[in-house]
Amino acid sequence: MTHLRVLSLAACLASTSAFALDQGEYRFNGFGTAGITHLGGEDDGRSYGVNGQTNDSWRGDQLSKLGGQFQYGLTDTVGVTVQATAKPEQDNWKANLEWAYLSWQATDALTLRAGRLRSPVYMYSETLDVGFTYPWLRLPDEVYSQVQVSNYEGADALYTLPLSFGSVSFQVAAGQAVNRNIFAADELYDIDYKKIFAANVSLATNDFGTVRVGYTEADINTDITARVNTVPFGTRATIGLNQLDDQKGKFTSIGYQYDNGTWLTANEWTSRIIERDGEGSTDAFYLMGGRRFGDFLAHVTYAQLDEDEGRQTSWTYGLNYNVTPTVIVKSEYKRVDTTGGYGGVFVENAQESYNHAAYAQTGGLFGSPARNYDGDIISVGVDFVF
Amino acid sequence: MKLLTRALSACVLLAAATVAQAEVAVIVNAAATAAPSQSDVANIFLGKDKSLKGVDQKDWNPTKDKFYSAVASKNESQLKSYWSGLVFTGKGQPLPSVADDAAVVAKVGAEADAIGYVDKAAVTDKVKVLFTLP
Repeated sequence: MTHLRVLSLAACLASTSAFALDQGEYRFNGFGTAGITHLGGEDDGRSYGVNGQTNDSWRGDQLSKLGGQFQYGLTDTVGVTVQATAKPEQDNWKANLEWAYLSWQATDALTLRAGRLRSPVYMYSETLDVGFTYPWLRLPDEVYSQVQVSNYEGADALYTLPLSFGSVSFQVAAGQAVNRNIFAADELYDIDYKKIFAANVSLATNDFGTVRVGYTEADINTDITARVNTVPFGTRATIGLNQLDDQKGKFTSIGYQYDNGTWLTANEWTSRIIERDGEGSTDAFYLMGGRRFGDFLAHVTYAQLDEDEGRQTSWTYGLNYNVTPTVIVKSEYKRVDTTGGYGGVFVENAQESYNHAAYAQTGGLFGSPARNYDGDIISVGVDFVF
Repeated sequence: MKLLTRALSACVLLAAATVAQAEVAVIVNAAATAAPSQSDVANIFLGKDKSLKGVDQKDWNPTKDKFYSAVASKNESQLKSYWSGLVFTGKGQPLPSVADDAAVVAKVGAEADAIGYVDKAAVTDKVKVLFTLP
């Protein structure tokens, strides 16, 4: 029990802070998630998820992560912030420097930052790793699997204007993210995002929730190729799965959150377009509703992902319990189905993708038909901040 | 287990020890000319409006509970979650805080641009009551 006492004491102490730090002041804050997750109802070894670690064995490395953030006031208006995380990437744990920037509070309303910043792509982008700030253990994969880059090097400007009924914030960001990894066809590949430009506006009202509209674009370079056994003769060959050469990717996110203390809802719709012939947009959304019962929160989420003819849908049912104001135990059951011969967030390797394409192109003579997937994902874990 | 956990939680213990009955007064310096409305006060204490310097209470107590539930519709967990969102996006830091009602009154009484909230019984002539929360 001692650790609980220490934790809540730390929580009390943590509330002695300032807006922007005064010169010489520093803060250390941390966050983490310890969770396990399991995919049932699919083939042996079939995996699911942004980095594909959810499969038919109970694993702790899809959801678990640990982060620390250090902030130091160089002067009363200029500060330095560094945030590091340890989290899994595909099958390995990896240390990441997520934030490393200088900030300047130019006026009461305007802050300028430069360095390595988190890319403000989604509604929850900037707290992607801080599970404590959202209701799920697993952010809706349908939306949150689409853009995998979590930070960039560049600069942004934040402007917040108080209003009589709430506040409105604007953010514009520009920079680049090169030599990053992207998980595709069960492997990690190199990807460069150049000329990143992002802008978002967030209107927070006191009584009617918060609306956020965000847009991000970047020139993408990647060469996702793999060696496969070709049909009909079984010879080895290299095929290109997704090759982008400075093609512009555009991502739009529209989100709405509301929380009156008892009822809450979080919703987001996204659309991703990569400018290239013959490819449409990838659209996704989720709708989440929940109700608090004392320290418990029960919530339900419907999510959908559409890409060409394929569709993934899911229902998630969750129950959270606030052990202390800074520690939440979460449990979740997610039922996922795909239609239209679509892999969705399920992982298909390059050989499978090739076989499906060969089947479609040869009218069923060779290869194997594209198939649908379904699964039951159970996740249990703890989110905390300090 | 649940009761034991809560009893050991220093913050919660304080909140549970006294039952909130008294009115909460939102106060500014006696010489202050600014008269923010309740929604302005919410913005100040949520770090969105920096025109006045909010003085927070350090521990979660009945006065703090009543203040945040009335002006911002947030309980302790929700307020923690809100600030986590700002701290970990580098967009803000929780307000400076002092120990109790008397310390808030002293600070607001001494600084022209400070604003705080206290149990109405703690108000002195050094500060001016903007409004009370029943």
